[in-house]
Amino acid sequence: MSSEDLKPRVKELIVRQLKLDVDPASIKDDAPLFGDADGGLGLDSIDALELVLGLEKEFGIKVQDEEVGVKAFASVNALCEFIRAKAA
Amino acid sequence: MTDAPRVRVALVTGASRGIGRAVGERLAADGYHAVLTYRADAAGAEAAVEAIRAAGGSGEAVKCDVTSAADITALADRLDKEREGIDVLVNNAAVLKNGLFALMPDANWNLVMDTALGGTYRMTKAFVRGMLRRRWGRIVNVSSLAAFSGAAGQTNYSAAKGALVAFTKSLAAEVGPFGVTVNAVAPGFVETEMISFLGKEAREDFLKRVPVQRFGRPEDIAPFVSFLCTDGAAYLTGQTVRVDGGFVG
Repeated sequence: MSSEDLKPRVKELIVRQLKLDVDPASIKDDAPLFGDADGGLGLDSIDALELVLGLEKEFGIKVQDEEVGVKAFASVNALCEFIRAKAA
Repeated sequence: MTDAPRVRVALVTGASRGIGRAVGERLAADGYHAVLTYRADAAGAEAAVEAIRAAGGSGEAVKCDVTSAADITALADRLDKEREGIDVLVNNAAVLKNGLFALMPDANWNLVMDTALGGTYRMTKAFVRGMLRRRWGRIVNVSSLAAFSGAAGQTNYSAAKGALVAFTKSLAAEVGPFGVTVNAVAPGFVETEMISFLGKEAREDFLKRVPVQRFGRPEDIAPFVSFLCTDGAAYLTGQTVRVDGGFVG
């Protein structure tokens, strides 16, 4: 799966699963998804759980526990890398 | 072939006898496919399933030691494949290893904690995601009067059952947004094998403090668990309710 296909899919997943009122295309590839960082989405731990569920449903990927999640969910780029690694 | 609507699944641990069995039979009567797990008492669990089927319900008995991560993983994988996971989880499995704390062997502390509390942790972890995914679930933890009453000889059991009360509140806060409720029922002295060791004097002492003036029966506990698992109980979560005949003390 090319990164060009994956990034828009991931951004759409984020907006859809978390019911965000933003245009998926406006999410920067390397913006921090969680926490209060500038330019980030400011998601919280419940959002993280929703993303885990979304990943399972959309990509069939199981996130075992929080240790994996924190790294994998740092940004859209990190998430794409995680998905590609799991699909390999 | 038309797709029949999915039947909701209720899993009860420690369901070969006592409260677990009564809850399993009641949930089956409510229309759930009841999965009754047992550690060693296959005959008891099979008898419960027989009774369920005789009454026109659906059920199965499964050997699963709640202290075994391997048993639980295997069961969760199978139920995920066969039934898309479960909808109701009743964490009932527990053992007693009473004794004075100052003389308690490590093994007695560990086993009691690992069965009631550890078992609840492992089972709930294995099955909660399916409930979150489907945005509907009922988790009922069986606590005990021991969580509140502080009887001598039960430090391990009281610690484990008390922990379940706190766990219930915390987990309820996390999964509330997903349509999953988490509650606990704290039975008093219920006439099952677990209290068969009580002597005449202990029984009389106990009855003096029970306004309803009798020991409980498994049938006194099952209806409340049944209610918690209905759609109607969707706004009730994080609670522990004592069903103990009004025990004073």
